[in-house]
Amino acid sequence: MLKSDSRPGARCWLISIALGLAVAAHAATPEFEIEIRNHLFEPDVLVIPAHTKVKLIVFNRDPTPEEFESFELNREKVIMGGSKAIIFIGPLPPGEYPFFGEFNPATALGRIVVQDDGDAG
Amino acid sequence: MNRYLAIGMLLVPAAACADGIVVDRIYDPYVEALETEIELRSILQYDDELGDAQKYSFGVGHALSDRWALEFYAIGTRFDNEHLSINAYELEAKWQLTEQGEFAFDWGVVFEIERGIDTQIWEVTSRLLASRDFGRWTGIANLGLVYEWGSGVEDEIETELRAQARYRLSESLQPAFEFHLGQDTLALGPVLTGLYRLSPGRKLRWEAGVFLGMDDESPDRTLKLNVEYEF
Repeated sequence: MLKSDSRPGARCWLISIALGLAVAAHAATPEFEIEIRNHLFEPDVLVIPAHTKVKLIVFNRDPTPEEFESFELNREKVIMGGSKAIIFIGPLPPGEYPFFGEFNPATALGRIVVQDDGDAG
Repeated sequence: MNRYLAIGMLLVPAAACADGIVVDRIYDPYVEALETEIELRSILQYDDELGDAQKYSFGVGHALSDRWALEFYAIGTRFDNEHLSINAYELEAKWQLTEQGEFAFDWGVVFEIERGIDTQIWEVTSRLLASRDFGRWTGIANLGLVYEWGSGVEDEIETELRAQARYRLSESLQPAFEFHLGQDTLALGPVLTGLYRLSPGRKLRWEAGVFLGMDDESPDRTLKLNVEYEF
């Protein structure tokens, strides 16, 4: 059993390890970008690796808000006009996952294509 | 048997003060920026010994940002054949703590303050919300800490646990199974939930569930019906 005066050192080590793991986990998350321009997603097809969590940064270049929505991805996120939002996706098995803009569903359409490592571009 | 019936009758007013109805909505930890919602929630409880109880909540809510949402409720609760009227008001604040999918679990908190109109009873509740996807399944847990005080009731602290496992079959129909544990209630049952899109930015969410009491103290049967219009 640790003496009480030895615990602060042990705590520091544990906190350092935990923080290090958290930073490493974030550093390893691949990032992808999509833009919303004239109520269209650009690109409208995004290829990401299978079984990997990815960080999707969505820039809304329009002056009006848009909502990134996908039942298949289980994501809903409003992006204000002229701003950006971060959406975490996955890990997902290979397949196609459509998404759309809730406020402009006729034009703002896209899909995430999840491919095994080596196939993803 | 009559003794139990008498005790049950005595417990009904106590349950009324404490609200007494544990089965309720299960919250996900997410806030949708810009969203306004109108909600009608009904909880119908049936028990041969405790008697019947019904709780209706009419709520109007709005997201203040992508992290905070406020909702105001007018609540009417009646027991057996009492006249139904609004007997409490509630203000609820939801705080999304983490980005969806960023960590192993998504986290949020709901704070509620409720005041009885005629009873001068106050109730504050904090609920920790957690959610995680497992493929097409989504698991949600709500752990609540309730503090109640006011005239005619003893100050008390209660805990509640609600959990849901939902299968995302389709947007319009998602079967789920729920568990509700709280004061004098342990209830389990199936739930159906879904969403209809009325027009861009306008949605109707619905939820219906039937719960069976798992012990002698729990109400025999409880129905939950919830409709939300989001715009």
